[in-house]
Amino acid sequence: MSPRSVLSRLAGREAGVAALWLATVAAVGMVNPDFLRAANLHAIFVKCAPVVIVACGVTLVIVTGEIDISVGSLMGLLAVAGGIVTSPDRMGLSPQAGAAAVLAAGAGIGLLTGLLVTLGRVPSIIVTLGMLTALRGLTRVLMGGRWIESIPPSLRVLSIGSTLGVRNCLWVAMAVLALTVVLAHLTPLGRRIYAVGSSPRAAALAGLSSRRIKVFAFAFTGFLTGVATLAGQLEVGTIEPDIGQGFELLVVTCVVVGGTSIRGGVGTVIGSALAAILMMTIGTALVFLKLGASASYWERAIQGAFILLAVLTDQLSRRRGTGEDTL
Amino acid sequence: MSDVLVDIQRVSKHFGGVRALREVSLAIAPGEVHALCGENGAGKSTLIEILSGSCRPNAGQVLLAGRRLGLGNVGACEQAGVAVIHQEPVAFGHLSAVDNIFVGRELTLAGGLLLNRRAMRRGASELLADLGGGVDLACPVRCLPPAQRQRVAMARAILRDAKLLILDEPTASLSERETAVLFALIRRLRNQGVSVLYVSHRLEEVFALADRVSVLRDGRLVGTRLAGELDRATLIAMMVGPEASESSRLGGDGPAPGKAGEALLEVSGLTRRGAFEDITFTVRAGEVVGLAGLVGAGRSDVARALGGVDEPDGGLVKLAGEILPGGSVRRAIAGGLVLVPEDRHRQGLVLPMSVGANLTLSVLRRLTRMGLTRPARERRMAGRIMGELDIRAESDRAAVSTLSGGNQQKVVLGKALAAKPKVLVLDEPTRGVDVAAKAQLHRTIRLLADRGMATLLISSDLPELLSASDRVVVMRAGRITGELTRDEATQERVLHLALPPDRANTEGGAS
Repeated sequence: MSPRSVLSRLAGREAGVAALWLATVAAVGMVNPDFLRAANLHAIFVKCAPVVIVACGVTLVIVTGEIDISVGSLMGLLAVAGGIVTSPDRMGLSPQAGAAAVLAAGAGIGLLTGLLVTLGRVPSIIVTLGMLTALRGLTRVLMGGRWIESIPPSLRVLSIGSTLGVRNCLWVAMAVLALTVVLAHLTPLGRRIYAVGSSPRAAALAGLSSRRIKVFAFAFTGFLTGVATLAGQLEVGTIEPDIGQGFELLVVTCVVVGGTSIRGGVGTVIGSALAAILMMTIGTALVFLKLGASASYWERAIQGAFILLAVLTDQLSRRRGTGEDTL
Repeated sequence: MSDVLVDIQRVSKHFGGVRALREVSLAIAPGEVHALCGENGAGKSTLIEILSGSCRPNAGQVLLAGRRLGLGNVGACEQAGVAVIHQEPVAFGHLSAVDNIFVGRELTLAGGLLLNRRAMRRGASELLADLGGGVDLACPVRCLPPAQRQRVAMARAILRDAKLLILDEPTASLSERETAVLFALIRRLRNQGVSVLYVSHRLEEVFALADRVSVLRDGRLVGTRLAGELDRATLIAMMVGPEASESSRLGGDGPAPGKAGEALLEVSGLTRRGAFEDITFTVRAGEVVGLAGLVGAGRSDVARALGGVDEPDGGLVKLAGEILPGGSVRRAIAGGLVLVPEDRHRQGLVLPMSVGANLTLSVLRRLTRMGLTRPARERRMAGRIMGELDIRAESDRAAVSTLSGGNQQKVVLGKALAAKPKVLVLDEPTRGVDVAAKAQLHRTIRLLADRGMATLLISSDLPELLSASDRVVVMRAGRITGELTRDEATQERVLHLALPPDRANTEGGAS
């Protein structure tokens, strides 16, 4: 494989996902023109917002060669924490305190995950699997069997408000995406994230602290999960116990479909964001194709097929390259 | 050159019970090319690892420009000015040359917040142009050829103002021209005051480059000499030592002639188009037959055909009188012929697995009961083979990757023996192992022959082949050009048969 074709392959994944998205939109629009209405497309993007926000963090985690499958449970816990802090039925503190609690708890738990992975030398799939279960359990303990109700609208402003006709959660998602792109590609830290994932051994020989870099990626993901909770999970004033369930798999699917190699070193947040848009569009499209109840079943099957296809592509390109790409 | 840049003081390191370095003291002057020589396993790699900070010694210290080097800390050693260019340069495969050079030392804008990509690109292109250029800056370095990757690694080192540049077998994957460019660069760096620790097996390079030479043997420093005061023979004598040259004489004692038994391997008219033609010879029980020839004469192809890896186009192979159908490794093993191939890493050793597991890997099915493995029997068998072949490992549970090259090679041999073969085909069994391990492998091969094994031995090391074999079959360009008995076989006669006729007396030695 020539150097040029490797580059074009990396850039090609984003282009491919974008093309697939356009094709999906066009095809469904022909069958059902209602699909193309601005309000519908806006609604699809709103659904994407929390996925894109968290995928920005998870992409970096996977690029370092680790994985985080606990973000769904973390999101549930953070929503409940925000609710408990602000709901007049519970602590009844100010929305500012609630938002700060959500963000700090998210970053703190992400930090803890990162420390467990790096200091404890436990594979991240196991650590975050434990987190997935433990945080969900903790959520239920905190709720004490009751739903949390009457969350103040001011805490929900990122989730429900609009600015210039666009929902606030979209502004937040775009800001997070832009910031993460800058972080990943224009800062020393970002460069080191890719370096550590590309070759842990070379990183060690270069004196880079892969531990610190990975801990950052996990803490950043936790923080963004807090942002996504504020921007995406508080549309209604009530919090139910299984908020965020299955979210972690959706995020990992988008990251992998977006071209991030599960082995680390390769991938972009833009790719993950495009894949998130593609996935959510397909989900909505199935509704517009009037499949009825089976739409959601098809959505899962299609997502699964995409993830297998993405991993297989990654594997094949690697195998083809072994002749001359070995280091 | 009277002052000292790097002062290595009584450094010792042991891995488990293996003592890799024993109180090594070594001084490197500023602006000196200091060669480090020694057989495989002498401790060169350990010393490099200690200087680079990736391995902490058990005792001793290193001063660099008078200050203690933070041993065991890669970052501190790099900061102090030590840079290592590994034989296979370790790099961030997915990152570009620019990123590889600058990672950890990024040029930044906006008070360190953002990368200054333009400046880094310019810097990289200047550094690389200085090193001979021709490196694609944008593509991932995994796609670059070895020489360019090495240049990227050198540029990294220069950017970091390396005071001590350690080059580990830097010419292993370079062409002659690339080597010349590298040498010119090394001399230039030396003139700029950079010290170079140059590690190479190629003695002519050592003599071409080095100001002084230090020799390690068995983890000890044998001595440091001015290169001008050394000659090749003296240097080799220092590396080999009195003990090893004695043991290689032992290996050279050879077999008692005339005790060969029945013909176990009979090859007649064996042909594989494009590789070899009309190969006919016999190996008897208790006999070691050497297959000599230049690289490319088709020796390994014959071995592969015998072992069932390649299918021959014609001819006949008989194992203990029975016809062996070609083209099946499994049938060859079942018939009693095992091929031990050349490349031990790629072919058959599972490096992270234990010695025991490797030894029993191919016969595991025989060791099971009701589909379950039987650890006690497995360990007994592994222990027996380890004893027989004198495999030096902490235990049968040690990972093969922790063994020295010679011991790894014995594990390969042991694995072959676990299948209880009658005929053993050994392709370059001693490539890359040190002299002592070589002598031991020779003793093992002889021991097996004494017990009735028929062995076909391929080696590019002609003295070794002559001392280990009872008979020598010589190949040239895919054909057998002669067969010599032990008494007839001298280096000159073998070379005469192996070399193209008109060049026999002008070329000094076989490769």
